[in-house]
Amino acid sequence: MSTANLDPTLDGHQAVHAAEHEEEDHRLFGFIVFLISESVIFVSFFVGYIVFKTSAADWYPTGFEGLEIREPFINTVVLVSSSFVIYFAERFLHKENLWGFRAFWLLTMAMGSFFLYGQAVEWLGLPFGFTDGVFGGTFYLLTGFHGLHVLTGVLLQGIMLGRSFIPNNYAGGEYGIQATSLFWHFVDVIWIVLFLLIYVWR
Amino acid sequence: MSNASLEAVAPSLQPQPGAPDNWKRFFTFSTDHKVIGIQYIVTAFAFFLFGGLLAMVMRGELLTPEADLVDRTVYNGLFTMHGTIMLFMWTFPMLNGLANYLVPLQIGARDMAFPRLNAAAFWLVPLFGVILTASFFVPGGPSQSGWWAYPPVSLQNPTGNLINGQALWILAVALSGISSIMGAVNIVTTIFRMRAPGMGWFKMPAFCWTVLAAQLIQLFGLPALTAGAVMLLFDLTVGTSFFNPELGGDPVLYQHFFWFYSHPAVYVIILPIFGVFSEVFPVYARKPLFGYPVVAVSSIIITALSGIVWVHHMFASGTPDWMRMLFMITTMTISVPTGIKVFAWVATIWGGKLRLTTGMLFALGGLSMFLFAGITGIMLASAPFDIHVNNTYFVVGHFHYVIYGAVVMGFYAAIYHWFPKMTGRMYYEGLGKLHFVLTFIGANLNFLPMHPAGLMGMPRRVASYDPEFAFWNVLASLGGFLLGVSTLPFILNMLSSWSRGPAAGDNPWRAIGLEWLVSSPPPHENFDEIPTVVSPPYGYGSDEPLIANTVTQE
Amino acid sequence: MNRRTIIRLGVLAIADLLISLWMGQQAYRWMPPQASAESVLVDNLFSFMTTLGSFIFFGVMGTLLYSIVYQRAPKYDSSDGPPIEGNVKLEVVWTTIPILLVVWIAGFSYQTYDRMSILGPIEPMAMGMPTAAAAGLATATEPQEPIQVYARQWAWEFYYPEQAVSSTELHLPVNQRARLVLSSEDVLHGFFVAAFRVKQDVVPGRAIDFEFTPIREGRYRLRDSEYSGTYFAANQTNVVVESAADYEQWLAMAAATPLTPAENVAYEEFNQATENAIDLGWATVKPAPAPIVNYASSEEDFHE
Ligand code: HEA
Ligand code: HEA
Ligand code: CUA
Ligand SMILES: [Cu+2]
Repeated sequence: MSTANLDPTLDGHQAVHAAEHEEEDHRLFGFIVFLISESVIFVSFFVGYIVFKTSAADWYPTGFEGLEIREPFINTVVLVSSSFVIYFAERFLHKENLWGFRAFWLLTMAMGSFFLYGQAVEWLGLPFGFTDGVFGGTFYLLTGFHGLHVLTGVLLQGIMLGRSFIPNNYAGGEYGIQATSLFWHFVDVIWIVLFLLIYVWR
Repeated sequence: MSNASLEAVAPSLQPQPGAPDNWKRFFTFSTDHKVIGIQYIVTAFAFFLFGGLLAMVMRGELLTPEADLVDRTVYNGLFTMHGTIMLFMWTFPMLNGLANYLVPLQIGARDMAFPRLNAAAFWLVPLFGVILTASFFVPGGPSQSGWWAYPPVSLQNPTGNLINGQALWILAVALSGISSIMGAVNIVTTIFRMRAPGMGWFKMPAFCWTVLAAQLIQLFGLPALTAGAVMLLFDLTVGTSFFNPELGGDPVLYQHFFWFYSHPAVYVIILPIFGVFSEVFPVYARKPLFGYPVVAVSSIIITALSGIVWVHHMFASGTPDWMRMLFMITTMTISVPTGIKVFAWVATIWGGKLRLTTGMLFALGGLSMFLFAGITGIMLASAPFDIHVNNTYFVVGHFHYVIYGAVVMGFYAAIYHWFPKMTGRMYYEGLGKLHFVLTFIGANLNFLPMHPAGLMGMPRRVASYDPEFAFWNVLASLGGFLLGVSTLPFILNMLSSWSRGPAAGDNPWRAIGLEWLVSSPPPHENFDEIPTVVSPPYGYGSDEPLIANTVTQE
Repeated sequence: MNRRTIIRLGVLAIADLLISLWMGQQAYRWMPPQASAESVLVDNLFSFMTTLGSFIFFGVMGTLLYSIVYQRAPKYDSSDGPPIEGNVKLEVVWTTIPILLVVWIAGFSYQTYDRMSILGPIEPMAMGMPTAAAAGLATATEPQEPIQVYARQWAWEFYYPEQAVSSTELHLPVNQRARLVLSSEDVLHGFFVAAFRVKQDVVPGRAIDFEFTPIREGRYRLRDSEYSGTYFAANQTNVVVESAADYEQWLAMAAATPLTPAENVAYEEFNQATENAIDLGWATVKPAPAPIVNYASSEEDFHE
């Protein structure tokens, strides 16, 4: 191998391997593979929802007319916009403007948290529960499972934000940032489908 | 030729801490893919014995028409746990073990892409194994709803406890799914990104192709099972109504979720075994794998088709006519890519210089039983015929022919073939051949009589049956006991050979492949220098070197 | 290839064909009596598939065995075989032939299923094919009101709405299209009569129309075919196919019989101490009490 000995504390054998491991950073590839797989769970739930909705005799629990769409719509706008915000955060990091990155990154987190808050408020105001018929079940299953992903995204973002204060942390590549923001876009796209299915499709 | 020159090198003893001759490392959180591979295989085999032991009790019960040996509840728990253990704790971990051990070596990598994820995925196996085993001891006993766990039976929970056999079953299966997804992400990334320089797709050994094809199935299939399992768990524990007809749910929807994964899962199981066949036949026939590129690609075609056939398990279920006909046709198309493989193997063997080592015998036995099973599979795919034999012993016969005949025998073929590589020692051929003869006779005696019993109308999952089926069941039970006995020479052979078998050398079969260029057992991180591949695999009979540089030993 | 090889191969192929045709005839003997019009169709299909399957199986196995017997390497011979890597012509052939065979098997199966029309006549719209054949199986008599079939954990009960007769044994007139409505009150069950070659899962929450035509008088076994829990294996009863006159007579007799509880294996076993060697006291769903019916079958009854 042609690699020069990068770190004098390593002996020859180790140095060669260190260089190889560097090249072999396949984490982003692996993460994308994982996300594709993960999306199938959502697709399965969506299919379940569609089947139930098109075949159920009485879809909504008795006395319930349909979901309120106004607040969820605001929620949707916030979540979807946060996808753009996180993109700008990434751009800042690329230009090595750390504070710009932190500001936009934090804004993303705030928007994600707002979404979660909005969802919690909606849940508390609903007249039906998880065990109230197939509609109640699928509604809470889908929004809950998605909400769990949003929460995970916000937590990951928190970790990445914290890491940005470690000197030179992102000098050697931004895998964590890329993966987190990819995850965030994923969560957004899922929400759009979910919103169309649950709130828009009557 | 580089592999010939290496034969002279004696099995090297490495002084490193992770040295392959230190058995204690098998009980640690090792991140070496070779250690993890063997951990998987040994753990899985222990569960195979456990699942087999349950089958022995079942065959004991089925010796007579009455339900006299075990209580009905016990019988139902036994076949449920037998099926679950055999699939989730034997075949998947066993195949992950083979893939773990072989893929990095065969593609010229030092390890898997994510060694720590790899170890974590493995250690989930004993964890969910313990959970599943623990379900034998909770009040009410383990799950008794069959390995499909169809609701509403799986929701009935007669004990009323929150912690019951069925809930533990779902938990274990879900953990198994997580472990498998972790493994799949790892293997797919490894194969895509870590192939040695020069190893284009069509220089990659067929085994790696089949592993890739199988792991892609895990990635798209398992999430559907997970979704179904989550909904089932909620129905069981908090009282939601997804699959509960009393509350407006749809039990047939669960069946779709379940089979959308569990049909493709059978190809997850068989594809790596196809890979084993493709590796073993050329070595012992001394001929290149016939039509290698087509054989390689046919695996991916099987992956694609496997996603659109699942309803063939539901022909007699609550499915409309059009669905039955549609999935009948899609199912039958699978015989085309599979046929390509079968014919290619036959052509590989044809005109070769055959050596009937134990590994070769098992591969040949496995191929013949697979052929039989494939043909009964095509019969099952024919909806009007399947309606007669669905849920009868004909189906049980079909799938044991594949799953025992092809998969377990293929596993044995792989073990005998790569045992010298894994341990640096030779196994005893005599014991190996005895093992083969007992297995081959036992398997056919066990599983062939199931077909006539099924055609006559004997349902599966029954602890008692009408006397007219007794004859076939006695035969099957005898075969089953013979199969139980057949594992003994194998265990004996492995234990004694591993501890004091004769030294094997690096390449006792004169096989071509990167794994045969390194010492036996391979050193830590496999290759001192990553080889540069210049030829397609299986260059038997021609003198082209496989790699450009020579791999030197440390 | 020289002439000798071609002749030898030809002879082997003919032998394979003859064996396969013989196997196809044997296939009929592995089946229970043909007691319905559907069974004739299914058996023909099975015989056809057995013939074809045997031809493939023995063809491939014969080739393999030939290699194993005649092409083994001599003892100290360490040379390699010929480095043949493939043959495009051959590969095209063995891809095309299975495709054609699949079309053939699928076509035959489709036709068979279409003629059975066990879920009622197949709608031309969905299937893209008219179903004249289905009519051929049914006889000219007026369709009667369908018999209600109730499956539960663990008993079968049949209800004849016109005569208000309930029974734990299914009686059917010979050579008339039988129409059933299958329903379950608890879990999945399966309606399966091997002698008729028909089977249908009974799904709780649905009423499934099911039909077939018995053509042979006799007593046949009806088995639960979709696993339904602890006493699944015991959830069986008999189907009696009899002449129209006998059938009418049975109906009249049953209508005049007062309701009595039937024998029920599951319920009785549940209420008596078990004598099994291994009973770990695992939990079970409690069986429903024995059905109360006009006509109670006896478990002792023999069947074909
Ligand atoms: C590794 C496991 C494995 C494999 C590889 C297969 C392979 C196949 N299986 Fe099997 N199957 C199971 C495991 C497997 N199966 C299990 C576990 C079950 C039951 C689960 C349960 O109910 O608990 C089952 C059940 C099952 C059913 C459901 C039956 C029922 O419940 O009523 C059906 C129906 O279509 C089926 C069909 C097939 C087909 C068409 C193939 C095909 O892939 C076979 C293709 C191969 C060949 C055809 C042979 C080679 C080809 C040629 C030589 C070419 C020429 C041939 C022709 C043109 C015919 N299988
Ligand atoms: C990989 C999968 C696999 C394997 C290898 C096997 C192997 C065997 N199976 Fe299994 N089987 C299934 C998967 C498998 N099975 C599945 C999925 C089902 C469906 C379940 C369901 O319906 O839900 C099933 C169902 C099933 C049934 C039908 C039950 C029913 O419907 O009522 C029967 C009946 O005979 C059976 C028998 C056997 C036998 C005799 C073996 C033999 O090959 C086993 C041979 C025995 C051994 C290899 C072990 C020997 C052990 C010893 C000698 C003791 C040593 C012990 C210690 C050291 C602790 N199996
Ligand atoms: Cu040694 Cu990495
Ligand atoms: Cu299948």
